[in-house]
Amino acid sequence: MKRIAKIIPAFLMLFLFAACESTDVVESGTYSGTVDEVEADKTEIYVKTDDGKTLELYFTDETSLTIAGEEVDFSMLEEGMSVEVEIEKVGKRLDPISVKIIE
Amino acid sequence: MDQLPDFWRTEVFHPLSVHLPIALLLVATFFKIVSLWKSGETWNKGGSILLFIGVVGAWISVYTGNLADGIVSRNLCDPTVLKDHENSSLIMAWLFTIAFLLEAAYSFLRRGWLNHLVVALMIAGSGFLVYTGHLGATLVYQQAAGVYVPSDDCEEFE
Repeated sequence: MKRIAKIIPAFLMLFLFAACESTDVVESGTYSGTVDEVEADKTEIYVKTDDGKTLELYFTDETSLTIAGEEVDFSMLEEGMSVEVEIEKVGKRLDPISVKIIE
Repeated sequence: MDQLPDFWRTEVFHPLSVHLPIALLLVATFFKIVSLWKSGETWNKGGSILLFIGVVGAWISVYTGNLADGIVSRNLCDPTVLKDHENSSLIMAWLFTIAFLLEAAYSFLRRGWLNHLVVALMIAGSGFLVYTGHLGATLVYQQAAGVYVPSDDCEEFE
């Protein structure tokens, strides 16, 4: 029983910290990577860049989403898609100017 | 002319729902700590009841916070604070939830170490609760998260 008493807190801390998401702040520019997560109700995506950073991007009214130059709806985005994103850094917020789906 | 927005906006439900669980969970932790030294139903049972209501309230707050997140994030200058607030709140909610589940297990198993573990989890949860609250206050008072900022001439109030 005492062994269980020691294991439970260690397991708990591992579980809790694994459940946390961390994101990165990068400079304005164009980045390529993979869509890690799509939150359709918030028109938000997480992009894992090729150099291992995680970008949290909330679409704005000005964000363009395209496939081969054609404007498409947000619902086209899926996890695992390859994308190229142009970002403007405002403070520490990352505003996506354009998201190109490369597939 | 600017129009004053409706008060009952989605993002307003988060501050409306967070304060009760903050108070209940901190008082529950205090009751449970006291119950380690003082016998009597008030401290132990009282702490358990407060813990249960506080846990329900904590998850309602996480839900309303998630709703607010999609709206306020686009206007924040430093959304990393919001991410820390979100992560810290989830850790806090899980710590108190697990403490509640172990508390329920304790009522069947009656192992002393289980009771001590419950109190330890609640103390850790209280630490994360205070930190979560601090980050939430930072978002509101330094970045005006979810706050309507009136126009310079206050025309919308006339």
